[in-house]
Amino acid sequence: MLKDITFGQYFPGDSVIHRLDPRIKLILTVAYIALLFVADGMIPLLFSILLAALAYALSKLSWKLVLRSIKPIMPIVIFTAVLNIFFIDGEPLFEWGFIKITDRGVLTAALMCVRIISLIAGSSLLTYTTTPIALTDGLERLLKPLTKIKVPVHELSMMMTIALRFIPTLIDETGKIISAQKARGADMESGNAIQKAKALIPILIPLFISAFRRADELALAMECRCYRGGEGRTRLRQLKMAGRDWVAVLVVAAFFAGVILLNIYGPGVMRL
Amino acid sequence: MAKEKFIEAKKISFSYPSYDGEIPELVLDDISIGINEGELLAVLGHNGSGKSTLAKHFNAILIPTEGKVSVDGIDSADESRLYEIRQEVGMVFQNPDNQIVATIVEEDVAFALENLGVPPEEIRRRVDDALKKVGMYEYRMHAPDQLSGGQKQRVAIAGIIAMRPRCVVLDEPTAMLDPKGRREVMSTIKQLNSELGITVVLITHYMDEAAMCKRVAVVDDGRVLMDGTPREVFSRVDELKAHGLDVPQVTELCWELRKEGYDLPSCVLTEDECAAAIEKLLKGGAQNG
Amino acid sequence: MAETMIKTEELRYVYSKDTPYEHVALDDVSIEIEKGAFVGLIGHTGSGKSTLIQHLNGLLKPTAGKIYVGGEDIWADPKDIRRFRFKVGLVFQYPEHQLFEETVRKDIAFGPKNMGLSEEEIEKRVLDAARFTGLTEDYLEKSPFELSGGEKRRVAIAGVLAMEPEVLILDEPTAGLDPKGREHILSEIKAYHERRGATIILVSHSMEDVARFASHVLIMDHGKAAMYGKTREVFSRVDELVELGLEVPQISRVFARLRANGAAVPESVLTVSEAKDAVLALLGKGGEADA
Repeated sequence: MLKDITFGQYFPGDSVIHRLDPRIKLILTVAYIALLFVADGMIPLLFSILLAALAYALSKLSWKLVLRSIKPIMPIVIFTAVLNIFFIDGEPLFEWGFIKITDRGVLTAALMCVRIISLIAGSSLLTYTTTPIALTDGLERLLKPLTKIKVPVHELSMMMTIALRFIPTLIDETGKIISAQKARGADMESGNAIQKAKALIPILIPLFISAFRRADELALAMECRCYRGGEGRTRLRQLKMAGRDWVAVLVVAAFFAGVILLNIYGPGVMRL
Repeated sequence: MAKEKFIEAKKISFSYPSYDGEIPELVLDDISIGINEGELLAVLGHNGSGKSTLAKHFNAILIPTEGKVSVDGIDSADESRLYEIRQEVGMVFQNPDNQIVATIVEEDVAFALENLGVPPEEIRRRVDDALKKVGMYEYRMHAPDQLSGGQKQRVAIAGIIAMRPRCVVLDEPTAMLDPKGRREVMSTIKQLNSELGITVVLITHYMDEAAMCKRVAVVDDGRVLMDGTPREVFSRVDELKAHGLDVPQVTELCWELRKEGYDLPSCVLTEDECAAAIEKLLKGGAQNG
Repeated sequence: MAETMIKTEELRYVYSKDTPYEHVALDDVSIEIEKGAFVGLIGHTGSGKSTLIQHLNGLLKPTAGKIYVGGEDIWADPKDIRRFRFKVGLVFQYPEHQLFEETVRKDIAFGPKNMGLSEEEIEKRVLDAARFTGLTEDYLEKSPFELSGGEKRRVAIAGVLAMEPEVLILDEPTAGLDPKGREHILSEIKAYHERRGATIILVSHSMEDVARFASHVLIMDHGKAAMYGKTREVFSRVDELVELGLEVPQISRVFARLRANGAAVPESVLTVSEAKDAVLALLGKGGEADA
């Protein structure tokens, strides 16, 4: 259902991964992505995937979620694979007419596919185990230094919060408007593309008007509650680093070291 | 010489700015009204009577075009003290959906305190306290869209009382609620006044809600027409009807019977009073005359 | 025997079937509403009343059971469902939120246009509907967005009236309006009922309004039709209503109490004018006895 958007991809739980500080989760996710690109060759790459596997196991989420996160990107993966297999030069493994498949092509394709899949699968864990509001919060605090160079960090995060708050309301509203126009005989199913686009007008206009009205009222309510931007604001929820956060940092650091060692001293097979 | 009232509007007029050279229409027309600390006041009027506009003057959302509003001695036109006023006089609006900012109940209640820069531990204490006072503590971790209208409105009230205001102005807080939600919210409002001693200004067009207050001011055409106890105001049934307002059924019945020449109390507000009056009338037989 | 206008047979509707959120909104609802009835539909939020009314014009398709409008099974041919939307007009809660056209005239014409009527017929219907809702001609060229709340609502209701439905369903049409606005809308509905002989279903939280206007009352509770009958009969079952957490009109409560205390007032008093007549009759009688 559309309504799920608000909870995004969040799956409630009480695991160690769920309880990690959102800032740490954000940083470590970035670190994991970096790791995938630092890994040179299939062996270090598979080793870095172990990190994601470990996190998944600790999160106690269903492994099916991995498939769920990968499914939408499969077309991209296949496209990348095809591109690499057929268009990268090297020792030919197979030739038929103008089609030529090379060893380098196959290896590059394999590396790229594994990388993309593990990137998506691993970083999905962030949204699976963190509420959007915690994410926004973590992001705001991490980016706070950027305020100095005039990046409106607080404003952006406020917008994000309000968006999250109002998505379910507006989805609900859309449903109501559609029903109301259908009750007046609006026909949204038949007709060509232009007619269908036209049929959206009776839905979009009321929806926009409603969104503006809500924005107006919300602004007034915020003013009444003394809102005046990010300056001097305190927060109810304080983020504090706990022991588990430091452990997580150490684990990721160890994986980094491992990948670098494998890059240098590991076997030379399946590298570019 | 009486002490100055907590909120004092002196001869205020208000009109929205006009753009095309038309003469702006006066929404408020020379209103003077004072509100004492601890009062429970209903401002009654039909839609477009100016009652909401008046309410917005009590916490400096609007500044009168003429006249002066002072809140606890602070002139509402003094921008440097705007946030003092907003903190002392909180405001709750009609649509519960459009005043909840955060995606979790307790974060929303904390919103004003965060804006005021209250230290986190103090925010925590006040948020829990406010949620308990409106009976929503168990729902503190819920998302607003999981709540009923009445519950959302109570969360909005909690978000205001967490600021520890001395006065709360509620602009038709029950207009969009079902009967159950209305009852919940009205009992919360009465409790604010009786138990926490907060001054309450309730803007409404529901007569039964106004009847629960200690003082009723009737507004129409931007003027205050009547100002008194519910009993005084509701005894003027003809005038109320002329201004597009209603009276409770029991009040109307007794008034109708009085018109027929029967001797009934001039202002009956509750079912008990009505039943007693009619019983007395029936027992006493016809006193037509 | 009066003709049946709407009939449901063991109507059942389940939201989000086969998910953890599964919820039975309508549970074997079988009702029969006769042509020309004015039905007050009462129930708590979540009782299934909104789900029910959306079935009657085919906006929702039942999980099981049948709906007949004017004797026809509305889902006999799903492609033909729009025909029933014109026959059964549905005014949603806060209908002014669906206005979208540049002028009041165009907005009211939206429904009739969808029906594929001729220009002259559309024009006639727009004018008729505007008259019913008390909108004078100078309103027709205005933008609906510059009107007051009460006026917008009248435009929205006119938009449904212009389809000239045989059944008119209104979901809390007076919500958020002041007494004058409420009175205005209710009297328009009454006029449409009387002059067109239309069947009306009025969803309302106001027992007072239902008592004043409805010939029948349908009470929904937990997805079931808990009571259905003539208004007077339903409102005399005070104990059952209280058990369902519903209230009878204030004046009915007072008179029930008077009766319990031994006064010879009639069994069911629904409105202030009935109450007044009852008291006057008693006093008149008393006078005669004295004389």
